[in-house]
Amino acid sequence: MDSAPVQSRQRPYKPPVLGRGQTFDTVTDQISSVVDRTQQPRAWWIGFGIGFVLLNLLLVCVSCLFAWGTGIWGVNNPVGWAFAIINFVWWIGIGHAGTLISAILLLLRQDWRTSINRFAEAMTLFAVACAGIFPIIHTGRPWVAYWLLPYPGTMMVWPNFRSPLVWDVFAVSTYATVSALFWFVGLIPDLATLRDRAENPIAARIYGTFALGWRGSVRHWHRYETAYLLLAGLSTPLVISVHSIVSFDFAVGVIPGWHATIFPPYFVAGAIYAGFAMVLTIAIPLRRMYDIKDYITGQHLDYMARVMLATGLMVCYGYLTEAFFALYSANLFEQYMIQNRMFGPYTSIYWLLILCNGISIQALWFERVRRSPVFLFIICMFVNVGMWLERFVIVVTSLHRDFMPSSWFMYYPTIWDIGTFVGTLGLFITLLFLFIRFLPMISMFEMRTLVPAAEVKEEH
Amino acid sequence: MAESKFHASDFELAPDHVLRRWRLPALAIGCLALAASLVGANTSPTQFYQAWLVAFLYWLGLALGSTAILVLQHITGGRWGATIRRPLEAAAATVPLMALFFLPIVIGLPILYEWARPDVVAHDHILQQKLFYLNKPFFLARAAVYFVIWSVISRQLVSWSTEQDVNGECMKRARRVEFFSRAGMMLYVLTITFAAIDWGMSLTPHWYSHIYGLVFGIGQVLTAMTLMIMVTAMTADRRPMSLVATPERFHDLGKLLFAFVMVWGYFNLSQFLIVWSANLPDEVPWYLDRTTGGWQVLMIVLLIVHFFVPFGLLLSRSFKRNPRTLVRVAALLLLARYLDLYWWITPAFYPGHFTIHPLHAATLIGIGGVWTWAFLTNLARRPLLAFNDPMIALELEKA
Repeated sequence: MDSAPVQSRQRPYKPPVLGRGQTFDTVTDQISSVVDRTQQPRAWWIGFGIGFVLLNLLLVCVSCLFAWGTGIWGVNNPVGWAFAIINFVWWIGIGHAGTLISAILLLLRQDWRTSINRFAEAMTLFAVACAGIFPIIHTGRPWVAYWLLPYPGTMMVWPNFRSPLVWDVFAVSTYATVSALFWFVGLIPDLATLRDRAENPIAARIYGTFALGWRGSVRHWHRYETAYLLLAGLSTPLVISVHSIVSFDFAVGVIPGWHATIFPPYFVAGAIYAGFAMVLTIAIPLRRMYDIKDYITGQHLDYMARVMLATGLMVCYGYLTEAFFALYSANLFEQYMIQNRMFGPYTSIYWLLILCNGISIQALWFERVRRSPVFLFIICMFVNVGMWLERFVIVVTSLHRDFMPSSWFMYYPTIWDIGTFVGTLGLFITLLFLFIRFLPMISMFEMRTLVPAAEVKEEH
Repeated sequence: MAESKFHASDFELAPDHVLRRWRLPALAIGCLALAASLVGANTSPTQFYQAWLVAFLYWLGLALGSTAILVLQHITGGRWGATIRRPLEAAAATVPLMALFFLPIVIGLPILYEWARPDVVAHDHILQQKLFYLNKPFFLARAAVYFVIWSVISRQLVSWSTEQDVNGECMKRARRVEFFSRAGMMLYVLTITFAAIDWGMSLTPHWYSHIYGLVFGIGQVLTAMTLMIMVTAMTADRRPMSLVATPERFHDLGKLLFAFVMVWGYFNLSQFLIVWSANLPDEVPWYLDRTTGGWQVLMIVLLIVHFFVPFGLLLSRSFKRNPRTLVRVAALLLLARYLDLYWWITPAFYPGHFTIHPLHAATLIGIGGVWTWAFLTNLARRPLLAFNDPMIALELEKA
């Protein structure tokens, strides 16, 4: 043993995150060409068209809601909360992946995030926009939405500060602000690039305005890097806090199925899980549409799929604890809640949820599946659906049968519930396609740091 | 090239190193304290078992928390993990010893746990419903399963790591280690959840909280991390350890410690806020028992030394990069971990009435002395660095 010399060794293997043969110029050209070109591919028009049609559906549904009131929705006692809160939580959750990718992975020095952080952050913003619609419209009286805010009025009416619903207002608005700021700050150097490349003087003017006079001097970069890191630090707690507070919306209630101390971490894991599924749902078609497989490589798909698998397993841990504690609690209501979920009137939804969130992702243990765009896309679709169903199960099955059998009723969504939800999908898709058209979907200046020529000896 | 720069023997713990010299004194002190505990057990058996449970869970936290960090770093990679791998393995390898220390709990089962007393169960409707889970044979069978799983995980990882010292880096083994560690991580989370329910939560058998197992687990991981920081700082004074244990690595370890402190606070707050705001008669007594009759003082102390002070200090970058300052906060947290477990467990026996007994000190030092001896012996047995790990080889090459 003593005589065994330390053997010489290669560097630890680190898979490349950028395709071969990329230089500073090719990175800038390829990414900005999407924005520069006058004619978008046909897929862009199809996607944007679908989004725009659905967006109009949202307008119709919301207009009718305001005209006729919330009676057009399926909500009634005892299920007074249904699609609005389900959709709110689903959308907010999706947003979390963007913040995780842009902030936490930056702090963890995961350089593969660079290819996906820009559009993941955009996705966050659009998802938060879709989520934000629901608290405002769900009363049917959006003109009094400002009552959510604590303001010193002559009527001296204050919101209940002990209610997590009020914390939600602060959490979500902070989240939206910081996400928008982070996204915009990240865009500045690229906006300057677009300004300098733009041939159309109006476009140059617009990009120039938003580039805030960026010249790329060393001093600019120095301050920029500091600001970016600080914003990343600020965003990091938001990934955890926003969805924890969303989970408190349920958990501080005493309804069986809502009142579980595991809810905050369980919701956060679910949010990141759903978010990564959505990032992949967007990334996989995008890399095909614009032929950017050199930037979003199989390695990226692999890493994102791993995050999905890990967070998915955490969500399964949540299902397991809920089931176990129902059994262990010796509490009639807890036990009935699980029994009702598994074998009650909504039984098919519960098992569909388990199939989507628990079983489908087991395929991600295999590297071949993780690197296959087609398989991965299918699994992501399962997860997108599964995470929506999870919120449906939590909200509806808990509410529709609580303590008193005389007040048990079924909940069925109406066409307006479904229309509003599908409409927000339209809003999301529309915003996403506009973003792809007008802004660089991949961060050019950060990608340039991944080019082999930019490799420097880094010391952190 | 690292070819001829170092020999395996360079990485051994130096013969005159303080950690090597501490082994026998630790064992001697531990045995003395164990003897004192046994004397105490004769006169006040109830207090003995109660104290033993807290001390057992505390030292178990070091062994299991290290196992958890070990599998985590095999999954995620990272230089920090390679740097502390040997101390982690030395601590993880003490799991079988902890199984031995579990025996007094087996003997004291009816004294510690209400549900193990047939006369209590006969008059308790809820406990009768819980008999399917809370009964002696199943409890013991579960404990056996936990210890087997933990021992297999730690043994296998230690033996692969030793193999690497002799045979060098091998891709095939690296893959196997990663695959094994994934399974190990899942098993750790599941077993610690149920172990926490069995050994801690069932002390208050009517009460339950879904997040209990996670709070317990993060506590163990945090405990282990403090020890790893202390050991790394103590061995970093000489070459070649000093080449690897750089300010960057301490920065990494400090950040992880910071993250674990925050997760601990987050999990605790989750439980507290949900229980407090619902204020249900079958849940809130758990907190009432721990916030009255003197226990609230301990809770406030805990908040300060287990959260606010480490949080404030660990925010600073230079604080984390300096091993001397980082060690202090690690030591503070190591102490706070015992206080936390004490606050978590003991009020189950003395609700709303703060109590402390000399046997707590005796059992803590007793198990601790023997554990420290076993840990240091494991540490001294093999090179301090997994020098054939590619991460470490790279660091040594640069140095």
